[in-house]
Amino acid sequence: MNINHVKLLFFATLRERAGTKFLEMDLPNDLTILELKEKISTEHPNLKESMKSVLITINREYAFDEAVIPQNAEIAMFPPVSGG
Amino acid sequence: MQSSNFPTIFSITEDEIDLNELLAKITLTSTGAAAIFTGMVRGETARGEAHQTDYLEYEAYIPMAEAKMKQVAEEIRATWPVIEGIAIVQRIGKLFPKTPTVLIACTAAHRDTGVFDAARFGIDRLKEIVPIWKKEVSPDGQFWVEGDYIPKPGE
Repeated sequence: MNINHVKLLFFATLRERAGTKFLEMDLPNDLTILELKEKISTEHPNLKESMKSVLITINREYAFDEAVIPQNAEIAMFPPVSGG
Repeated sequence: MQSSNFPTIFSITEDEIDLNELLAKITLTSTGAAAIFTGMVRGETARGEAHQTDYLEYEAYIPMAEAKMKQVAEEIRATWPVIEGIAIVQRIGKLFPKTPTVLIACTAAHRDTGVFDAARFGIDRLKEIVPIWKKEVSPDGQFWVEGDYIPKPGE
């Protein structure tokens, strides 16, 4: 298998800029978070600016640029949190 | 009592936060003290740039938010093993001034056990790592409130 089918969730400002809560994407295997951000900046120009400060999670844990995206991951993108 | 039997409650809800019900659930026969923090929607802000707020609209990444609340409770227990019960609840949706939005309560046998610090840590940590956001709607327009904490690996 050389395609990784993932779910991508957006929240708050990212959701509004993306115009959707949810996307499904086919990614190349072994893509890193940094490469995913580059891909989204290219394919979704509305989100390019957001990619500079976005927080990203893989399977509900915070993930960083070097992380390799596992198969069928649930990925989320959002700004720094503001609960309370 | 073993700490594994101590009650821990964490939830994201659209319903009104019921302090009495939560407090009853985290009060044991050995409990003699509870420290409770609750935050509410502030309609008039004086600090910084003075402004008015019509309402706040909250959203959450619910399954991750509940998992991170559980993690906050585990961090509290690691630092203050004497804490008995912990409740962490965030209300989401459209919330108007004076409405409680969040509650964190910790119980212990006595008040000098760190129970105040534990509740303080709980709300501070929630604001760092639990994926919840709020949009402020005011007479001047609307904007997303963004935090400034960047989680580190392992958080």
